[in-house]
Amino acid sequence: MNENKSLLSAGAGVARRNLRYIIWFYLLSILFAWSGASGFATHAHDMMDHSLYSDGVLHGFHPAVLIEMMNRPEFGPTKSTTMPAMSFGILFLLVSLTFMPGVLLGYSSDHRISRDEFFRACGRNLWRFVRLFVMAAILVGVTVGLLSMGLDALAKAADNTNYERLPFFTNVAGWIIILLALTKIRVWFDLAATDVVLSDQSAVRKSVAFGFRAMRKNWLRLLGTYVAITLVAVAMLMVGIVLWNMIVPSSSIVGAFLVSQLMMLLLLAMRFWQRAAAVAFYVKEMAEPVLEMTPVSVVVAPVAL
Amino acid sequence: MSFICKRLVWFCVFLGALPAMAQTPAGPSIPTTTSAINSPTPMSQRVVHYEIDAKYNAKAHTVDADETLTYHNLTGQPQDTFPFHLYLNAFQPTSTWLREGKREGTRNQDFDKWDPKSYGSSEIKSLEVIGQGDLTSQLQFIQPDDNNKDDHTVVQVHLPKPIPPDGYVQFKIKFHDQFPKTLERTGWDRDSIVAGQWFPKVGVWWHGAWNCHQFHAYTEFFADFGVYDVKITVPQNEVVGASGIEVSDVNNPDGTKTLSYHGDDIHDFAWTASPHYKIVEDTFNGSMGPVKIRVMLQPGHMFLADRHTRIVQQTMTRFDHWYGPYPYKTLTVVDPEPGAQTFGMEYPTFITGGAGWFDPEGSVSEPEGVVEHEFGHQYWYGMVATNEFEDAWMDEGINQYTEAKVMDDIYTPSTSLFNHLWGMDAGERDGDRLFMLPVADLDPMTRKGWQFFDSDSYGGITYGKTAVVLLTLESIVGADTMQRAMHTYFMRYRFTHPVPEDFLKTIEEVSGKDLRWYFNQAVYGTAVLDFRVHKVSSVAVDWYKDDLKEKKGETAYLSNAWIQRKGDFVIPVDVEIKFDNGEKVREHWDAQDRWVRYQYQKKAKIESVEIDPDHKLQFDRNNFDNSYLVKADAAPANKLVHYWEFISQFMTQVVTWFLV
Repeated sequence: MNENKSLLSAGAGVARRNLRYIIWFYLLSILFAWSGASGFATHAHDMMDHSLYSDGVLHGFHPAVLIEMMNRPEFGPTKSTTMPAMSFGILFLLVSLTFMPGVLLGYSSDHRISRDEFFRACGRNLWRFVRLFVMAAILVGVTVGLLSMGLDALAKAADNTNYERLPFFTNVAGWIIILLALTKIRVWFDLAATDVVLSDQSAVRKSVAFGFRAMRKNWLRLLGTYVAITLVAVAMLMVGIVLWNMIVPSSSIVGAFLVSQLMMLLLLAMRFWQRAAAVAFYVKEMAEPVLEMTPVSVVVAPVAL
Repeated sequence: MSFICKRLVWFCVFLGALPAMAQTPAGPSIPTTTSAINSPTPMSQRVVHYEIDAKYNAKAHTVDADETLTYHNLTGQPQDTFPFHLYLNAFQPTSTWLREGKREGTRNQDFDKWDPKSYGSSEIKSLEVIGQGDLTSQLQFIQPDDNNKDDHTVVQVHLPKPIPPDGYVQFKIKFHDQFPKTLERTGWDRDSIVAGQWFPKVGVWWHGAWNCHQFHAYTEFFADFGVYDVKITVPQNEVVGASGIEVSDVNNPDGTKTLSYHGDDIHDFAWTASPHYKIVEDTFNGSMGPVKIRVMLQPGHMFLADRHTRIVQQTMTRFDHWYGPYPYKTLTVVDPEPGAQTFGMEYPTFITGGAGWFDPEGSVSEPEGVVEHEFGHQYWYGMVATNEFEDAWMDEGINQYTEAKVMDDIYTPSTSLFNHLWGMDAGERDGDRLFMLPVADLDPMTRKGWQFFDSDSYGGITYGKTAVVLLTLESIVGADTMQRAMHTYFMRYRFTHPVPEDFLKTIEEVSGKDLRWYFNQAVYGTAVLDFRVHKVSSVAVDWYKDDLKEKKGETAYLSNAWIQRKGDFVIPVDVEIKFDNGEKVREHWDAQDRWVRYQYQKKAKIESVEIDPDHKLQFDRNNFDNSYLVKADAAPANKLVHYWEFISQFMTQVVTWFLV
């Protein structure tokens, strides 16, 4: 527990010292969300700005107005609004993938790395991170596929009982297990990514193997840390939604914007906290043996002279 | 004993026997009992008397039964052919019901794969006509609607000797039912059953012919009024509910029990059995007498008991005051097995709701909306027994209209669907209109149920369009007049089988208005109602002067507003023009032409134009273009755009969380 706490605080410290990454990623996230909503915005303003009927969504919220708008032919096919949102969502994912090596390098460093170092790390590790991403995606896909098949079977069996809530609780329990499995995969690949960047490992499979071993050895500590951060994120989301619903007047767009974006910023920060914790773990636990070898290199130095 | 004494004794015995002789007619008859209604005399013209003795096998989900049907020939002519519904035969892969269901989908099912548990059947083991012998071999399946020879939902028997006008005929039928795992309306789920359309049921002689349609994917039923005496034998652990009143409940030595039910002036009989039901009882004091309400809840739904009894009381009160009395002594409200496709169904004095363990109070669609709707069918189907196959709008649609009225009265017109549920509000009429919009011009309301374009059109027109058409009609004749018309219609046609014109003429009669122009378009036609503010302009009268300086309140403007009737539906409409000095002008347009232009010269510019400012027209196809704000207000769209951004941003972050 104390170890978990120290990893949590170590990670928090690293993330706090490098707040600029969270801010930059948040700005990218909101920029992409704005861009992704452009199709929706164009159609919505065209239809709503000159209509008194639109007031139904401003004061209070009448879903009938929204449903009618989205079903109007002039609003365009659903694709025209969902595709930009999806495209910019994918773009954010790719940007995260591209710039994450620089973030991990920054997290591992005890000084503020230069812009040059940051982008050099990004460029150097781009292809490695793509390979890591593909491996992680396959693993996530297979895990979710297999577990949800099992969950479906369980839920079906639960549905045959006379306890009505059982299918629901089965699904909740099943999804918690799936999320735990995904979190474990995330721990594994965060360690692998850290190893790729910090040991300049071009053989990605070695970093993956390293990440797996490290995670297996310290799974309780690492998983505990990740789960604790996730729970903080969930709690913050819930509080945010309750505040949004209870405090923000329905006609206050600024209020809704501030609350929702604060939630998004904090959600992003939670994920960076996890990564920072992984880097802190890596530096502290895994880098020590490397440091022990330092005397060897010291010995070599005089020979060079 | 002397001879005289003996004669006296015999005479006395004869006198004593006279009343009994008077009570026992020579042939069969339909009982004139009234024990199940709060009326001293029968309320319907009773055509049938069903006596059924059914034994339910809870493990196999089967029923074996003996049915005696007494039919009173009131057709005015000799009858030698009688068709019977065998509804359960619909649940077979080659039936018309399933073919249509496969084509259209029904109750959220697309029948990707045939599940043997979905099989249902109703098999007549023997059919005897009293006085004419066993006619089992004469039975012949017929397909009056689509000629699908594989459909066995209607069977016909030809009698060697016709039944004379006003004569009686008695059928003795042995049948075996296999209930399906619920696909729609009837069947079993886990260890429960809701048994509807489960016995051979004679068709209706209507407009000079037998009306006995096949069972279709989204049509319902039609039957004659009469008396039902039904015995149901079930395992002793079952809790049973049924149409009518419970007469007796006797335990048998073999671990079963037999419950007897009696129904007066009803045209169908349904029952349910489950070991799990919990009973909540209540009484409604109606204008014809007390009604015993029996709510049969799932054990996990006991927390919804108050919501059930409250909505039943609220609904019955309004129906009693607005439309007429509920004459039956009982109402059974069944909360069926979770997930079962028997939810939301109506049978005489017996309805099924649709509750779940998670039903937040703000969502009034369940259980309140469902219970209200199904109770409404006690009037529009149960008593005003229209032909549901052919005139579905007269039961489902009129009921949808009265549902909106009742729910709007209990809540408000803007919260009767979602009552501040997580900040959302929606009214019944919003739901009805949205239901109709995608299919507004596909079918007229009066189309026969199985002939609609598809199931969406059937639902959207039958339920949604009828409701909004009647809500709009209300604004034409006045709400009070409409209520009086509905009351008159109910009182005049209860316990009969009215047709569309009966309903429409009643409204014309009570309102004193010729409404053909409206009915021809809205009820019989497919014309779409669609108005639009085409254009608005305000130009300074002295626009040509070089030194013109516009000043609010001083500069005179020539303002124009163009109103267009885009749809073919012609209906007079009000238009409100608001000027930027606060002045409002109301215009009334007959909408005979395709467009109209209103022109004003005022020291003010037009600020907004609104068609139908009182929102009387409930079925305009596009509400957005019914008004025009000269100065754009981006706030509503901004709010939605922000929601959209938030959702997409959140989704992106969640995906990225697990992948990078």
